[in-house]
Amino acid sequence: MIPSIGRCAVGVCAIASLLYTLGGCVTAPQAPGSRQGLPAPIREVLPNGMRLIIQEHRAAATVAIHLWAGVGGRDEAVGERGFSHFAEHMLFKGTETRPRGFVERDVEAVGGRTNAGTSNDYTFYYLLLPAPRVAQGISTIADMVLNSVFDAAELARERDVVFEEVRLTEDNPRASLARQLYTLLYQGHPYGRPVLGDAADLRGATQETLRGYYKRHYVPENMALVVVGPVNPAEVRAAAIAAFGALPRAGYTRQPLPPTVALHGVRARSVERPERQTQLGLAWLAPPLGHPDMAAVDVLGHILGGPRSSRLNQALRERARLVSGISGWYGALQGAGAVGITAQLESGDHEAVERGILAEIRRIQVNGVTPEELARAITASEAQREFSRETVEGLALAYGRAETTWSLEAERGYVDRVRAVTRGQVQEAARRYLTDSYARLAFMPRGRAQ
Amino acid sequence: MSRRHVAALALAGALGWAGVGSAAAQPIRQQLPGGLTVLTRENTATPVAAASLFVRMGSRWETEDDAGISNLLQQVLLKGTERRSALEIAETAETLGGGVAASADLDYSEIRATALARNWKAMLELIADVALRPTLPAAEIDGERRAILTALRSQQDQPSSLAMDTLMGRVYGDHPYGRPLLGRPAALERIDRARLVAHHQRFYRAPRMILAVSGDIDARQVMAEVARLFADAPAGPAEAEPTPAAAAARADRTVIVKPSAQAQVLAGFLAPPTSHADYAAVKVLATALGGGMAGRLFTEVRDKQGLAYVAGGAYASRLGPGVLFTQLGTAPANQARAEAAMLGELERIRRDPLSPAELARAKGYLLGEFALNRRTNARLAWWDAFFEALGVGPGFAERYERAVAAVTVEDVQRVARAYLSAPTVVTLGPAAP
Repeated sequence: MIPSIGRCAVGVCAIASLLYTLGGCVTAPQAPGSRQGLPAPIREVLPNGMRLIIQEHRAAATVAIHLWAGVGGRDEAVGERGFSHFAEHMLFKGTETRPRGFVERDVEAVGGRTNAGTSNDYTFYYLLLPAPRVAQGISTIADMVLNSVFDAAELARERDVVFEEVRLTEDNPRASLARQLYTLLYQGHPYGRPVLGDAADLRGATQETLRGYYKRHYVPENMALVVVGPVNPAEVRAAAIAAFGALPRAGYTRQPLPPTVALHGVRARSVERPERQTQLGLAWLAPPLGHPDMAAVDVLGHILGGPRSSRLNQALRERARLVSGISGWYGALQGAGAVGITAQLESGDHEAVERGILAEIRRIQVNGVTPEELARAITASEAQREFSRETVEGLALAYGRAETTWSLEAERGYVDRVRAVTRGQVQEAARRYLTDSYARLAFMPRGRAQ
Repeated sequence: MSRRHVAALALAGALGWAGVGSAAAQPIRQQLPGGLTVLTRENTATPVAAASLFVRMGSRWETEDDAGISNLLQQVLLKGTERRSALEIAETAETLGGGVAASADLDYSEIRATALARNWKAMLELIADVALRPTLPAAEIDGERRAILTALRSQQDQPSSLAMDTLMGRVYGDHPYGRPLLGRPAALERIDRARLVAHHQRFYRAPRMILAVSGDIDARQVMAEVARLFADAPAGPAEAEPTPAAAAARADRTVIVKPSAQAQVLAGFLAPPTSHADYAAVKVLATALGGGMAGRLFTEVRDKQGLAYVAGGAYASRLGPGVLFTQLGTAPANQARAEAAMLGELERIRRDPLSPAELARAKGYLLGEFALNRRTNARLAWWDAFFEALGVGPGFAERYERAVAAVTVEDVQRVARAYLSAPTVVTLGPAAP
């Protein structure tokens, strides 16, 4: 009922990055069984380092234009916490030649959609437009990422909007739990910092510092343009080169991520909340994007906490009735990954729920998974790929994220890697990663936190 | 390509849209001898399929005494049939490369499923099994009841959903649309298996059901299979439609005090049903006011004053009276200013006509959203069943697009004056301002 009209998807993206990803954040375009298989995407690196990915998708009427930048919460130095996300908001606030709101007005007047999102590893902007407007759309998105002015008065107003976004997230227990669970798990690592940032740093941001941050990171070798739709690749290529081709290389290299800090035993935290329901989150460190164990961990997460038939849902919701909802996910980022389990439960039962979760993990570690469970997980991955191709933005998101944090080729071959996973590998992944060192976060009704 | 399809393309062409991909503009509509309405849509774009089974059952037919029974029934349907246990239902759906889910709404209840297209027969068989042969086990009723009561509590804990539920109660008065979809705790506690069985028998009858299927399927094969699967669906009698209590907006201001980081401010108005002649004009009005990021509320309250992250509104489509609402979330210290700004915009749109650019933006956004919302097979099946359930029929999408295109600045001002005269306001925040 509530319209989804927020601009920044940090809330959404922060959660999306926690979402279990069997085929979800990883889809590939080739569909051997499809009557209309898509052609392979075209990937090109322009001389200045800017990457261009074009996917023809003739069945669509819409074109998705995505601009991905390799900048996010992890790139922020002391004093800059929250700048990636704040800058994302400011890119809608006017350029050297066009006024505030031009993007929304132009896009919405032709029936399109626009939004943006910031996460730990990346920031992205998208326009969804009637296909004939693709060249105009590329020019609009280029103007945003290259010529935004960061007007001081606009900046002061938009800062209040960002603070409203922080408050909105705080009032949502599930979004808050996911965010704070990351902070607990990745303590001392850039992935543990909230993408929405630090209030003092945001208050201290000026036109000069924020614009400087933008100019430093929005450089050709740190950006990718992804276009998916019923387009003529030559026309798209020409428009992309006209918009981005003349930019000089900036000599940019991204700061490498430090290694994650291992947990020793259970790192626990309880938080008092106004809600009457208890929320419990457990999280383990897991392999990053591209790791050889990635597909096995993905399958493990699915079998443990994915669909209705999953182990945790059956044991704790359907049989023991200890939780009203429970899900498991594998969130793979560029430098690290996490397997998490979040549950909503009645007060007082959280210890029984934690014991139940650990018992189900133990069962997989000792007895493994069934052939049927593995087969269903593989089918889910294949189906996810097909369903994601129903819309152009589904593919653009998968390609943009893969190009920015992983690799397009690996992404396209991912379902094959899932198909090759064995029961033994799933059991081994459970033993290797779901150890007795994990983070535990509980949201307790006021007066009950320990 | 049918002539109607061509007409739709010509209309959408003004905006540069070229229809909804390779799906036909309209579904094929047929009625089985028992009264079941079937809508099929061949869409070869991707090798997937989706189906929605709508039943004319939901809040509209409920009373304070059984509020929530339709949703409880929908949840328990998935918990066992004469052929399958709850786990087997879930496993079957997953084996097909999709899922099955059920829910209740104000004007209808739905069982929906998706699958890889090669499994379309098994997908339809699963839906028919769940709909026609549920066992409604007593233990599962208790479990789902507890889960729903928990969900109701957590909705009450969420500032934005508590504020919205309160607004709907104030706008609709004693009309069933004013109750939370999940029902009332006292009523849910009372519902036993006998009542659930009776509810199922009363509503799951062929003339009350609509099945929409969309995907990489052959419509004739689907029709034959549906006729076979639903051959033993109970027939009529078509029961008389209820006459719910008249909706009467309170037009007052309700203040909820609750700990929260953000204050919520909402305003609501009764608006016409979907079949009404003013429907398209009110849709344009709601979009000019609160649709997208270039609507008046977003521009004024967020962009110019920085008072909110969410600031917008919508007009909900209903079989009975609709509702137009606006909504924002702001820092508690700014609540009074934000409320004044919102009410000011509601007043201004009655007083000052839209500019031609605003009208064009609103129409473009509205038609674009509508097209974007009808792309996946799951959405296409849902919309086909929804239009049928609302009694506006398979040609509605094209008629609606033409009606939106014809809306004038004067039409918007006329409906703004007709429907936005007396706001019903709800505020929620940590302390009364």
